[in-house]
Amino acid sequence: MSNKNSAVHAKKAEIFCRDEARVDWHSKALWTVREKRDRAAGSLPEWEQLRQIGSEMKLHTLTNLGQYLEEFEKNCLENGIQVHWAKDGAEHNRIVHKILADKKVKKLVKSKSMLTEECHLNPYLEGHGIEVIDTDLGERIIQLAGQPPSHIVLPAIHMKRGEVGDLFHEKIGTEAGASDPFYLTRAARAHLREQFLSADAAMTGVNMAVADKGAVVVCTNEGNADMGANLPKLQLHSMGIDKIVPDLESASALLRTLARNATGQPVTTYSSFYRGPQEGGEMHVIIVDNGRTDMLKDKILAESLKCIRCGGCLNTCPVYRRSGGHSYNYTIPGPIGIAVGAQNDDTNSIPWACTLCGSCSYVCPTKVPLDKIIHHHRRLKAEAGKLPYGKSSYMPLVGNFMASETMLNCSMSVARTALKVLPGSLLKPFSGAWGKYRELPTAPNSSFEAWFKKNRG
Amino acid sequence: MRVALFIPCLVNQMMPDVGIATLELLEKLGHQVILPKGQTCCGQPMTNSGCFNEAKKTTLKLLNAFKGVECDAIVCPAASCLVAAKENFHEFDTSPEAQKVIDKLYELTEFLHDVSPIPVFSKPFSHKISLQMSCHGIRMLDLATPSEQMGPRNNKVEAVLSRIPQIEIVYPDRRDECCGFGGTFALDEGAVSGKMGKDKAQAHAATGAAYAVGFDPSCLLHIDGMIKRQKLPIQIRHIAQVINAAL
Repeated sequence: MSNKNSAVHAKKAEIFCRDEARVDWHSKALWTVREKRDRAAGSLPEWEQLRQIGSEMKLHTLTNLGQYLEEFEKNCLENGIQVHWAKDGAEHNRIVHKILADKKVKKLVKSKSMLTEECHLNPYLEGHGIEVIDTDLGERIIQLAGQPPSHIVLPAIHMKRGEVGDLFHEKIGTEAGASDPFYLTRAARAHLREQFLSADAAMTGVNMAVADKGAVVVCTNEGNADMGANLPKLQLHSMGIDKIVPDLESASALLRTLARNATGQPVTTYSSFYRGPQEGGEMHVIIVDNGRTDMLKDKILAESLKCIRCGGCLNTCPVYRRSGGHSYNYTIPGPIGIAVGAQNDDTNSIPWACTLCGSCSYVCPTKVPLDKIIHHHRRLKAEAGKLPYGKSSYMPLVGNFMASETMLNCSMSVARTALKVLPGSLLKPFSGAWGKYRELPTAPNSSFEAWFKKNRG
Repeated sequence: MRVALFIPCLVNQMMPDVGIATLELLEKLGHQVILPKGQTCCGQPMTNSGCFNEAKKTTLKLLNAFKGVECDAIVCPAASCLVAAKENFHEFDTSPEAQKVIDKLYELTEFLHDVSPIPVFSKPFSHKISLQMSCHGIRMLDLATPSEQMGPRNNKVEAVLSRIPQIEIVYPDRRDECCGFGGTFALDEGAVSGKMGKDKAQAHAATGAAYAVGFDPSCLLHIDGMIKRQKLPIQIRHIAQVINAAL
């Protein structure tokens, strides 16, 4: 689902780039995370093997998805967990609402889940009179600010601490002008503690669902998922069908790369395995498709479902770091956001928010071939006649132009002359976009071919 | 060896000096160098825009320029174009003749490292150079181990250049972060491309090197535009120019 205020990525990026100091700050903050990742990954001699194992295990699971999902459901039921199936976000939201409404839930505490963002659960529940409190610190910040996440692991990375201080002053009554992270975090902790104690139900996302145990794994650094799941008697966990892993060994292989690749930590502070309701309570797991089986039908797009949502590809992406997470017209930004969201982008521009540098594919802990998937999305857009930036009108011309030596040679000869006598004026649209940000090249006197003919012919 | 030059349109039209340096250095190494006629674009601007139909004609024309040409190797001084040519030839022509051409394709560094190593450099190159590790060369041609990858490291570019007497090789901060050229990306996403290029040009200049040296002319042309816009005290050079000056 695209944002209401969708515009082509290049436009949003251009606006983000107007504040160069902020771009530098954003880019550096995320590059620092990439450097931490490099150190953590480099500390394991078997790192590249772990990536290979992660990739093969996820592919195996996706290839036998039906079998593993059924095994997971059977084991969940044996563990006393209630299992629900949702074909899309709307059905997911209806199921969640029914579970909550049956128990007359007024307040739900939620820990970070990109799936519930993808399904737009919060506004749906709020529309039905249920208060939803996001309990991850970053998620709570953007919830108070009324914004979507700009990163899948660091949702408020676009906000500076002074801005968070101002927001907290207004919303939770911290001192005016306070921007000390320790002070603000303590204030948020106290604020969230009240929410946990007064909640009627808790909901979390799922990092992995272990088929042979009928258990879900939830990873956080703040323990907020555990505070939620262990306090109210009603706990819900939403997961995409791609979250399934065969067994505990598979889960542990992914746990070794997940946090290292996300933030450079050896492991998340809390990696909790839930395999049944608490005494006298209820545990529900909602399994969501929402377009995933459609992606499985395309051999290249299918590989994007290997993703374990570590966010490593965002941190390394030179375009994401300089355009910000709100420029992608999709809940998930960056390379993985393009891979799983391009088909829903009504501006058709996000597959082009990429230089195809390939850094993301090498960073990825499950070897999702992100640059190949993004390249493939471009082809799918072209075949569907949905090209952005005027490409559908000029690309056929370029195709003919490049295929004709005569046209290419004559016009480039003219262009070289133009570059000499009319700097920065001719060669539209080339010089327009080129010359706005760079100096035009110095024109050589002749082509190499002409030189060769003269000197070696 | 009999070596056919694959001179991409950008080098042919805008950076002929890179073509000349490539030709001269290969001749100095004792190769017989030919330039097959009828070379056009590799099709990358079109395929990277998703427009495969529009790329077919020019790709096949380029492929035909090399089909049946008697040579031991086809050498190209542009990594990105070489990768695209390999992929696009395969995409549009799966015949054994096309495969013969594909099997002979080498990027210049690759050729000088894997096939025809330089016995000795006769002249020094007494400058500090900052290496521009362009993406497609390292991440698709294995010219060097990308910084994201862990384990044993390899760097063919440095291996070839470091044998030049008196050369000093350094790297910019964030050594293999993309420079932001990206083909039509430079036009479609001008602001981000411009910012990436500016950061890259500054990182090269900050090393104090006299030259930013690379194997991909399109990236170099983009960085050159950035260097000139910001009036930075550094110039661009293609590896062929550096190697040719030391032979």
